[in-house]
Amino acid sequence: MSAEAALERLRAGDAPGALSLLDASSCDDGNPARHAARGMTLLDMNQPEAARTALRAAVSLGDTSPPTLLNLAIAEGRAGDLPRAHQLMEAVAEVMPDWDEPLLRLAESHRAAGDPVAAEHAYRRVLELNARREEALIALAGLLIARAEGSEARLLLLRCIGIAPGRAEAWAALGLALLLTAEPALAHTALTEAQRLEPEVAEYALHGIEAARVAGTADAELARLALASDVAPLNPVPLLARGILLERLGRRDEAIDALEAAAILAPDEVLPAKMLASVLARSHRLRDAEAALRRASELDPDDPWLRNNHGTVLMRMHQHAKARGVLLELIETHGEDPLVLCNLANATACLGLQEEAVGVARRAIELAPDAGLPRRALCNTLPYQDGITGATMLAALRDCAARLPRTGLGRFGNDRDPERKLTIGLLSGTLKTHPVGWLTVAGIETLDPARFGVICLAQNAALTDPIARRFRTAAQEWIDVDAMDDVTLATRARELGIDVLIDLGGYGDAARMAACAHRLAPVQVKWVGMQNHSSGLPEIDWFITDRWETPPELEHVYSERLLRLPDGYVCYSPPGYAPDVGPLPALANTCVTFGCFNNLAKVTPRVIATWAEVLRRVPGSKLVLKTHQFHDRPTADRVRTAFADAEIAADRVELRGSSPHRAFMGEYGQIDIVLDPFPYSGGLTTCEALWMGVPTVTLPGELFASRHSMSHLSNVGLDDWVARDAADYVALAVAKAADLAGLAALRAGLRPRVKASPLCNAPRFGRNLGAALRHAWREWCAA
Amino acid sequence: MQKLYAAADAEALTDRAAQLVTAGRLGAARPLLAAAKRLAPGSIRLADISARLALRANMPDAATAEIDEAVETAPENAGLRKRRAELRWQAGDLEGAARDAAEAVVLDRTDPAAKALLGVLMLELGRTTDAVACLAEAFGSVPGNSGFAAALATAQETAGDPDAALATLLRCVEAAPGRIDPRNAAILLCVRRRDYRQAARLAEDTRRAGIADACSFGLLGHALSSLGQHIEAADAYAEALKLGPQDPYVRHLVAAAGIRPGAPRAPAEYLRAVFDGYATRFEQHLISLGYRMPGLFRAVLRQHPLIAAGERVGPVLDLGCGTGLVALAIADLPVGPLIGVDLAPRMLAEAKAKGLYDELREADVMDVLREREKPLPPLAGEAGAYPLILAADVFCYFGALADVFAAVHANLAPGGWLVCSVEELLPDRDGVIPGDNDGQWALQRQGRYAHSLAYLRDTATAAGFQVLRLDRETVRYEADSPVAGLLAVLQRVPHVG
Repeated sequence: MSAEAALERLRAGDAPGALSLLDASSCDDGNPARHAARGMTLLDMNQPEAARTALRAAVSLGDTSPPTLLNLAIAEGRAGDLPRAHQLMEAVAEVMPDWDEPLLRLAESHRAAGDPVAAEHAYRRVLELNARREEALIALAGLLIARAEGSEARLLLLRCIGIAPGRAEAWAALGLALLLTAEPALAHTALTEAQRLEPEVAEYALHGIEAARVAGTADAELARLALASDVAPLNPVPLLARGILLERLGRRDEAIDALEAAAILAPDEVLPAKMLASVLARSHRLRDAEAALRRASELDPDDPWLRNNHGTVLMRMHQHAKARGVLLELIETHGEDPLVLCNLANATACLGLQEEAVGVARRAIELAPDAGLPRRALCNTLPYQDGITGATMLAALRDCAARLPRTGLGRFGNDRDPERKLTIGLLSGTLKTHPVGWLTVAGIETLDPARFGVICLAQNAALTDPIARRFRTAAQEWIDVDAMDDVTLATRARELGIDVLIDLGGYGDAARMAACAHRLAPVQVKWVGMQNHSSGLPEIDWFITDRWETPPELEHVYSERLLRLPDGYVCYSPPGYAPDVGPLPALANTCVTFGCFNNLAKVTPRVIATWAEVLRRVPGSKLVLKTHQFHDRPTADRVRTAFADAEIAADRVELRGSSPHRAFMGEYGQIDIVLDPFPYSGGLTTCEALWMGVPTVTLPGELFASRHSMSHLSNVGLDDWVARDAADYVALAVAKAADLAGLAALRAGLRPRVKASPLCNAPRFGRNLGAALRHAWREWCAA
Repeated sequence: MQKLYAAADAEALTDRAAQLVTAGRLGAARPLLAAAKRLAPGSIRLADISARLALRANMPDAATAEIDEAVETAPENAGLRKRRAELRWQAGDLEGAARDAAEAVVLDRTDPAAKALLGVLMLELGRTTDAVACLAEAFGSVPGNSGFAAALATAQETAGDPDAALATLLRCVEAAPGRIDPRNAAILLCVRRRDYRQAARLAEDTRRAGIADACSFGLLGHALSSLGQHIEAADAYAEALKLGPQDPYVRHLVAAAGIRPGAPRAPAEYLRAVFDGYATRFEQHLISLGYRMPGLFRAVLRQHPLIAAGERVGPVLDLGCGTGLVALAIADLPVGPLIGVDLAPRMLAEAKAKGLYDELREADVMDVLREREKPLPPLAGEAGAYPLILAADVFCYFGALADVFAAVHANLAPGGWLVCSVEELLPDRDGVIPGDNDGQWALQRQGRYAHSLAYLRDTATAAGFQVLRLDRETVRYEADSPVAGLLAVLQRVPHVG
């Protein structure tokens, strides 16, 4: 009989063999057994429609045996006709009231169809017939666990384990049930047993570390997992689990070691690559994170989370063109998503495509009008847009601030003594080598320690960074806040008794200004760090500025009260490795070299047009632009084309990529005059140019960010480098370029002049900053 | 249920493990190495990587069996010999290490690293001439290798040829201008030779080369300050502080230069760093400076009533004993057992070599004095109390003296003596007493504190001492000028009745 021989093969696991045997004896079409065997074989090969046809034929030829009917029911169900399937299963169950199989199949079908109530009912009927049916015990327990009913699940699973102690899934489910009944130590034991039985299943190990954590035995679990790796060094699972547990315990370097070993050991698995990538990204090991995310995306190309994160990591690496490519592709394959659009807006702005960036941010707002992130993206792109006014900017900032969540954490109990020693909190992700660090650290170091204590609330801490070390030394306490959500952060800050909180991050990368909406301190102040304009946040009480940054006529475009420092609003701390100032290059070159080493995001089409006009009016002159974005060839080509369109010969404009800081500063040795971009002016870049002996022609506007150069130049007595409008900017550049003797003399004395000016006078700045903070505090005490 | 399986092959795992060991990522390398060994048992290359890992983890014994087996399997493999030499060296087996290193040189005569290793081991074994020869060959073939340069310079200096040592370091600077360590080694060598001009020049070259390093700036400050250029020195110290704000050594130097408000005493790290780099030349230096304190202490102790009567006084605590100069000066007096306390291990090694102390303790003075509750050593007489405590030029590393006087007082037996010396705080040329502690004490540019006579007297009295003697003395001569000091004999008031 071919049918029986075929079933024999099927039972031996050779479905294709069984099928070819059945096909070979096609002369026997009237035999229902052959159709039934064919149906079972096709079902096994996951071809439910064909199986259904064969099984229906078998039934119509008279084979109404319960197994055939049950197989038909299964085929009907898998082919999509659930009602018919369930009806057949019930019918078979009725015919054979002692057989538990049809009810089990019915239960599984209900469960697969997402109907847990019907499934549970059916499983209970199975267990009434056969209390030892393992699949039903495990599956019903699973449904109960999903409803958080641990006690009954626990009993069912204990029964199952009594029957079949070698079933890993039963032990694992028991572990989950015990977690629900608050018996984490026992849960951990059960999950450990599941791992012993099936050590390659990652899920058991991951539940195991969770149980150990709840049970408070994380250290023992780490040791156990290390031992498991020693015993089975080729199994990546214990390494993966250990890595994840170490990360949870905040031991990131060790976590990365373990996860990387797991990923190397199992290079084709997504899970280790994904976990490694996310820990690396959180640890700011961007290059490694990028490689891991790329690898994980290759292994699991359909995961949009991986690709979005890949894009953000590329942005943090300043590879904005690549990031934009990844994000655009993601939108193409997965459609528009507000979060992805926000990232895209930032990447686009950084490439100098300001109008497009603002458009993308506005599109994200359209898609998610109530969300905060798209508003933040708009606030981060608008300051670069040509023609932006203070009023438009303030309105956008207020819109964004209005959407931040707020929790009533209660009133502040800080002692209202106006003269007591104050605790100052610094909130920032950039307390390190970064414009924020260079411009604030000297001021913080020189605050009078008898009058002010400093606590750093740091995101993205960089342990070995030289400026981070200075902050650490100046502060009485350093707290890493990465793992705290906004409310936890605000609560912690209140526990620390912070009197005056200074935000040094705004809405930038790794910044936490949003937490200020919950209020961290009774007095909250905005200072450097994405301080491109007012915060727009009603909970920020004060804004540190100076008379050049915020003249009286611009006060109305700020939401805060102003703390105007008597000199500049920052104190520059120049690096010890800066090269010496050289002679004016124009003297040797016989032509003037203009330069701008600012980020391309600040270079708008109008800026390029204005620079082209300067180049036209100063014959033979050259322009050197230097920014990391020029490492991307299409971006550099776009800027070259823009100058060509303005009829500037290609050899007059030189585009350079980034370089190490000392070399970067050294390149000012080839620049005679810096041309500032607008509306977003240079900040630290202008200070560095001054330190290297090069003055900047600048055009201030209404935005705070448009007036940095003006502030720094005025602070060192160079207010004659500030233009009134674009025409004046061109005229000023032309006039300064014509006076080489004056330029050479200025350059020769500029470093000592800057060093002696308030811009670099840290003790004086520290006193002024202290006085401003004291004033803000006294106002709160008096209120 | 998703199962994860290893898919990497032995070679891939071995390569990655080797890279990770090189990168110092031992935690990641270890499991990969174990996995690779499971796939390729007995591999020579894996044994070598295990040995490298053991070296990096400072656990030489962990790889001993494996490397021995590998050397037996491949006796002609020079790399394995070199590796075993390093392991043996780390485990303290210098002779064994030297044998392996010599074998490695024979097996591969072109390998400068093997020669350098042998040279360093020769130096450790005290065979200076051989060391210089080996290291000169290694350095000659790779003059940009700062490790070879440092080792050769040390060997040359040990052989008594500091000129050659400096030349070696400068040649390395020329060959590898971007490396900081040969530059700092050269500057430090100049400072040690008291050639401050050359030191400052080299430090300035370093800055011009674009290297910003706390140590170079600190040494520049030291050199400039020694040349009397205090304002420029302060600038250099400020730069050093920016680069190493938490480094206690730098902080103390900077405080001494008057940039930051001074701490009430010098940090232990500073003392250890200064004196450990100094131990072997310390005595020579002090004697060349006309250091007078040991002799003055001897003269004072001879007037102690019991000592004068030939009775033994002890146990005696010698605080900040350094290389044991005071012990040497009083060796013939009936005092002892003598317990020396100092922070710097190399100073203590010099002291130990004198054989005059019954016990030497590497510890902070205050920590020892605060151990009052658990007396060390067990005493014959009154428990926990010394009849005599000596403190020659150690309180100059304390600003405020109240705490240390109170602690000494608590450690003295009733009637016991404290003999101590400090530098005296004197008004400057304009008649102003420096420092901001009401003229009581101030941190000076050399990193030591000076105290006024009145302050010493009042603080001692407040601590419960009777001042038996308080004299102005010259501590030593600097640039042929006397350095003013104070010598005090303070007595814990005896029990009455």
